[in-house]
Amino acid sequence: MTFKTSFLAILLGASLLAACNNDPLSDLSVEESQVFITNRNKTADFNQYKTFSIVDSVIVLGNRGTGTSLSDVDMQVLNRVVANMQQLGYRYVNPKDSPDLGINVAQIRNSYLNVVSQPMSPYLGNYWGGGFYGGGLGGWGYGYPSYYTYYQVNENYWYLEMVDFKNPDRANQKLNVVWSAEIRGAGLFDVQQVSNVIDSVFKQSAYLGSN
Amino acid sequence: MALVLFVSAQVLAQQGSNLYDLPSPYERYTHYLATARVTAAVPIGAFADNYIDRSSAQNYSLSLEWILRSNLSVGGEVGKNFFQQRLPRQMYQLGEQEVSAVQTRTLTQYPIQGFVNYHFAGSGAMVRPYVHLSAGGSFVDYTLYWGNLADQQQKFAFTYGVGAGTKVLFKRDGSVGMDLRVKYTQTPYNYDYITSGISALNGSIGLFYRWW
Repeated sequence: MTFKTSFLAILLGASLLAACNNDPLSDLSVEESQVFITNRNKTADFNQYKTFSIVDSVIVLGNRGTGTSLSDVDMQVLNRVVANMQQLGYRYVNPKDSPDLGINVAQIRNSYLNVVSQPMSPYLGNYWGGGFYGGGLGGWGYGYPSYYTYYQVNENYWYLEMVDFKNPDRANQKLNVVWSAEIRGAGLFDVQQVSNVIDSVFKQSAYLGSN
Repeated sequence: MALVLFVSAQVLAQQGSNLYDLPSPYERYTHYLATARVTAAVPIGAFADNYIDRSSAQNYSLSLEWILRSNLSVGGEVGKNFFQQRLPRQMYQLGEQEVSAVQTRTLTQYPIQGFVNYHFAGSGAMVRPYVHLSAGGSFVDYTLYWGNLADQQQKFAFTYGVGAGTKVLFKRDGSVGMDLRVKYTQTPYNYDYITSGISALNGSIGLFYRWW
């Protein structure tokens, strides 16, 4: 092989290796990462409701315990929900004044602990593969003592729901949820972002509104 | 003296031409040929219509083949294909739910195939066009990101392809050359947005090295 062909072969090999690691989300912006999921009771007529009220603090749910929270972001979220509802024509009333709709705002916080048993496949983390063994496709693995590695995944997202107080199901002693929204992604707890985040779920629910 | 010189010159000339006409070892023996390819792939059919229609240049493969003394060669090829497409934010209806998200659609394939090539010129030719038939398996990774949430499915699926190409030597009887190939590939795989397999038209440029 001449120098030129060896060089070309190495170049091809290197691009082959580089191709092994695709990160499709590397250029995803914070806004693009956000997912807004809404759900409604299709039989509900949102025009029938005139008044609403909202919880006085954000409910925290999840496998790390439950409780309430009223941080700056939480307060901003509650105020933004109220503002959106008022814009849709609903009147904000005290919870004691029997509102037609009640709004729950929750933060879901879950942690999951996962166990990976070693060895990790060197094909997953092939950082050393290339330079160490020429072409990188050679069958070098890692020598491990037998042990386990733990990693923790946290998820934290918003959940909103609208409860129908106007038409309670008296027979079954049930209050029906007529609308719910789940907001996932990055930047959800950022004071700068959170107002837009809340606006989004109302904007995509065009059926809401009272006149 | 003059006659002797004349005769020996003629003999030398004859020997020279005999050497030149001798077939190269590549023509006389079965030999090996390794090719590294970079491929541009265009999704076609339902795969393009329903999932990803963006072309991809992030496809690579390595093949090793045995060039037989007939016009045939047989070999194996491993590779990696990667398709990706980002869709702007839009609303999706998932059952009862309305979901507003930016979708990043990806499909990664690691095909492992055996192939047969039939060549239209002898192995000594500078330009050697061929037709190509391949079949094997493919490790398929379907990952659809909704925002930064992933829906993933991985499966090993049957894969096959037909193509045509040509090998071009850089110099006569040399061991290095270029390989150009156009190939249609199909992997019967159905999941979510993919309803009738992964089909693509691939154009590749490769560099080969042959030895015996």
